Parts: sequence; structure tokens; C-alpha cells
Amino acid sequence: MNPNIIETINITRAAAWQPWAVQYFFLIGTSLTAVFLTLPAFLMGKQSYTKIGRLGLLTAVSCGIAGVVALLADLHQPGRFWHFYTDFTAWSWMSWGSFLLPVFLIALVLYAWAVYRPDLGRMAEQPGTILAPLYKALAFGDKPEGWLVRPLAVVTVLAACSIALYTGMEVMVIKARPLWHTPFLPLMYLFTGMVGSTGVCLLLNRIIGDGDRDAERGLNRFLLVALGLMMLNGALWFGSGWAGVSAPAQRALASMSGNKEWITVAVWAGLSAIVPFVIAWFKPVGSGVITGLIAVHSAWMFRWTIFINGQMLPKTGSGVYPYHFPLGSEGLLGVVGTFGLWVLIIVVLITFLPWDGRIATPDRAASR
Amino acid sequence: MEKSRRNFLKNVGKVTAGAVTVMTVTPVSAEPKRRGGDPKHRWAMVIDLRKCIGCQACTVSCSMENVPPIGQFRTIVSQYEVKNVDKPGQPVDYFMLPRLCNHCDNPPCIPVCPVQATYQQEDGVVLIDNEVCVGCGYCVQACPYDARFINEETKTADKCTFCYHRVRVGLLPACVESCVGGARIFGDVRDPNSEVSKLLDTNDVKVLRPEMNTKPHNYYIGMDEHFEGKVQGESPIWDIRNAKGEEIEES
Repeated sequence: MNPNIIETINITRAAAWQPWAVQYFFLIGTSLTAVFLTLPAFLMGKQSYTKIGRLGLLTAVSCGIAGVVALLADLHQPGRFWHFYTDFTAWSWMSWGSFLLPVFLIALVLYAWAVYRPDLGRMAEQPGTILAPLYKALAFGDKPEGWLVRPLAVVTVLAACSIALYTGMEVMVIKARPLWHTPFLPLMYLFTGMVGSTGVCLLLNRIIGDGDRDAERGLNRFLLVALGLMMLNGALWFGSGWAGVSAPAQRALASMSGNKEWITVAVWAGLSAIVPFVIAWFKPVGSGVITGLIAVHSAWMFRWTIFINGQMLPKTGSGVYPYHFPLGSEGLLGVVGTFGLWVLIIVVLITFLPWDGRIATPDRAASR
Repeated sequence: MEKSRRNFLKNVGKVTAGAVTVMTVTPVSAEPKRRGGDPKHRWAMVIDLRKCIGCQACTVSCSMENVPPIGQFRTIVSQYEVKNVDKPGQPVDYFMLPRLCNHCDNPPCIPVCPVQATYQQEDGVVLIDNEVCVGCGYCVQACPYDARFINEETKTADKCTFCYHRVRVGLLPACVESCVGGARIFGDVRDPNSEVSKLLDTNDVKVLRPEMNTKPHNYYIGMDEHFEGKVQGESPIWDIRNAKGEEIEES
């Protein structure tokens, strides 16, 4: 029999992972991959990468802190977060994540402190600095320049890799969602994270940095690599589903085929990768705001598509579940609020910390 | 005084040695363990689709018994209008498909739970301790049957419990009790004389999404292959269109 089936009665299941989850995965992906941008300068000691390294460090710390708030908010019972620590569950990736995440954040903050430490000492010596005693204490005495930076860079990058592993695996193990159940997904999170963090650094370089052209060129070059990896991985996923090599990819494509919204999303995602790639290739200097904005958009939209659009695909029923973007804290307010929090963290960090290494000397301060 | 101090030190030694022994002998478990319930039973449901008339009495009685928030359901009878494309003159038919938690023997919802709030009893019933649940929604994602949801009032994971509060005092689940056509049959598959055991012995039964290897314990009699998995059909409920194919907006 060749049936034509119309579903007349069924129920919808609301998305259990809300836009907060999109925010968390975006921010933590940005944070952990921004750590990679700090390595040439602070692990390998390449002076020419110092500006990129400092932009990367600021991005990593600010996004990491904001990300944790978004993660807590995605719990429907955020006040019970401590259950993660009283009921460790060795077979759940999310349980591992609850332990790996604080390790990453502590390592990251210590790493940032080690990088900023010599400048904190110099800030403590500036006349009229109210926080001088605090800066002096944080400078930790008369230690050599670069003290602990390399070991902490190693620990932080290992912790960052553990976050990439757990966030990827956490979603990949969900066999019930063919769009998620593929080894291409953890890689895609990593590559789109690299795209996002490079985008954030490009924007910060222009907005709060000095718009350094070498840093912009270097970041656009890094963006080319990240976008290239992202497009290659996406093409391999699509190809494996198209050719029937990967059953989940094939099922995911089947559940999306013919759906106009999904086709629009696919075209949009393709353009969000190709356009910044072309711009970064032909105009690596003077294009940072454009490539940065599109890169951030691309990384964020990938997560939105995977989580929100992915949860709109019923597991047993026909068609697509409707999703109405709520305007309150479970939707728009949550998204805007998280970005607002991130901006606030950036403002606090750049106000009180020597993030870019530019300290006004006593002479310069006195001549003002 | 001297004696009691000696005893204290002696006991401290014993407790410490005991703790070390327990710590070294008891390895960290690598998979979830069943807890609670009576291992003499294995509860299951047989759903005879030939008898289901889609009246939704089960849906209503479940909601009366378990009081999920309005608009959220632990069970539902999905209904489908079916036409045979090869025989255009033939009248349309209807297919009724009661859906609920399958209380799988290999439940994918349990190993993902980060705080062990959801667990399986020795009698196979999958439950949620909603005082432990953090509402992370991970189990909702992992269930291949869309049987779980986040309860809008309790803010924790929710689903069918086979009305365990009734079963443990010898009553039937509310949906079974209220089924007009007697399509839902509940019982113990470990009892060879139970009605479910006899039905399983004498009928060709199918389960939903067998390819997921979840070993569901809801068995369907009269199941058609087109409805076992994700139903490839049109869904006009949320997307109402006019004769020209334009979406009809809510006025």
C-alpha cells in the first residue's frame, strides 16, 4: 500500500532546551576557542601575536563567565544546581561537564591573572590609584616577567579541550535526534566556535582596542582557516547523508527535505560562511568589523539552528512542531540579557584590569 | 578514662580500616542500577489497535489522575487520516495510535540524567524523583518517543509512570481502567498466566521504533509499519492552509 497520511490529532512538545542553551553553547564555544588565540603569544612566546593574545584572553574570560550564567538559567530548577555535585553520575556527559566547567574557568582566570600580573604591579605604583593595595597584592611580589604563564597556558588549553569534548559529546550521544547524533557535530561546534571567537576578537580590536592592522590581518587569516574547516566539515556531513554513508545524517536530511524554512536556513548558513571568507581573503585589513560581525552571527546561528530548529523536529509525529520565540526571559529577554551581561563583564574587566598592557606611566599621568 | 580513650582509638582504627576497605572494594559504578520495585514483576502494556476508537478517554482520565498542567499530556491518542494513493476511489481510513512512555528495558533517558533523578525500578517502571530533578531537559532530548516533557508547574521532567501509585496498591493505570474499547491491557509479563502474557503469546505484536534498541514494554497489536517510527505524513494542525495553499492566519 502506498498511503497518503495526514496527522489529524497530536500534541506538540515544547523545546526543553531554550535559547539559554544556545547562549551557553555560543559563549562557552567562543571562550574555549579564544584560548587557542592566546597560545602563539603566551605559550610560544611570539611577540608579534601579543595583541591577538590579549584580545583572545579578554574574549575567553568574559564569554566564559557570562556562559556559566546562561547555563544555570537553562536549568528549569537553577536553585538545585548543587545536585550536580552531590549526585555525580559517571555515565552522564552533563555530569562530567559540571566538574570540568569550573576547572576550566578557574584555570582560565589564573592564566589571565598570570598574564596581567606584571602590569598589575605597574598599576599599583601609579599615583592616586585607589585600588593600589589590591593591585599590589595581586602582583604577588617581585616575580620574574612571565612567571607561571606557560604552565597555566598549558593547563587552560587542556581544560578548554575537555570543554570542547564534553559539550560536543553531550549533544552527540542523543541518538533520538538524528541531526545531533553524528561525529561531525562536536567538530562543527569546535570550528564554529573558532569562527565566533575570531569574530569577537575582530570586533573588540576595533571597538575597545586600537584597531591594530597587524592584529586584524592575523585574525582575518585565522578566520579563513576556521571558516574553511567549518565549510569542509559541513560539506562532509551533507555528503555523508546524501550518499547514505551516515544513517543519522541521512535521517536528518530526510526529516528536513522539502521544508522551505530549512532550505532558507541552509542557504543563509552557506552565505554566512562564504561571504566573510571571500572578504577576509581579498581584504584582510579594513574589513574586521564586517567579517567579525558575520562570523559572530554565523557561530550563533549555527547553535540556534541545531538546538531550536532541531527540537522542532518531532521524533514520532509528522511535520514540524511550531516554535514561537517568547519575548520574556525564556526568549528574547534571555538572549539580550546574556549579551548585556557579557558587555557588562567586558566593561568591568577593561576598566579595572590592564587587559591590553597599556599602562599610563607616572610621567604621562602627571603631565595630564 | 584511659580505657575509654583506648577504646576510642581502637574504634577509630576500625572505622578507618573499614572505610578504606569499602573505598577500595566498591568501584564507581559505570552504569545506572535499578532500584526499588519488586523484581518478581515486570509491568508492561499491550495496546490492541483494532479496538482503539480514538475517544481519548485514556487521555482525559490520565489528566484527571495525574493532573499535568493544561496543554501537557502523559498520554495521547495520535490520529491519522490515511488514503491509499493507488486506489483513489477507496474511502479514507483512520489510524489511532495511543502513545505513552514505553518503560523500555534499555531506556536512553536514564543514563543521560546528570543527577540520577530518573531511574528504573526492578519491576521495569521508569520513574523520576522530581525533588532531585534539576530540570535540565537532557532526558527529554534522549527519549526517542517524545514521551517526556518539562512540567510547566513543577519545572521538572515529567512523563507516564504506568500510574505506579495505583499499581502498587493493586489498581490498574487510569488509562487502562477507563479504556472504552478495552484496547489497553496492563499486566505482569513475568506471570505466564497474566492477560498480557497470553496476548503476547498468541498475537503478532510490534513495538515503536525498534531500530532504537530501547526494548520498549508497550506492545501493539494491529500495528502498521508506516506508524512504527516517525510518521511520514502531513501535519495540518498547526499549519492550516486554504485551497490556494496559503497559510490561514489566526484572526
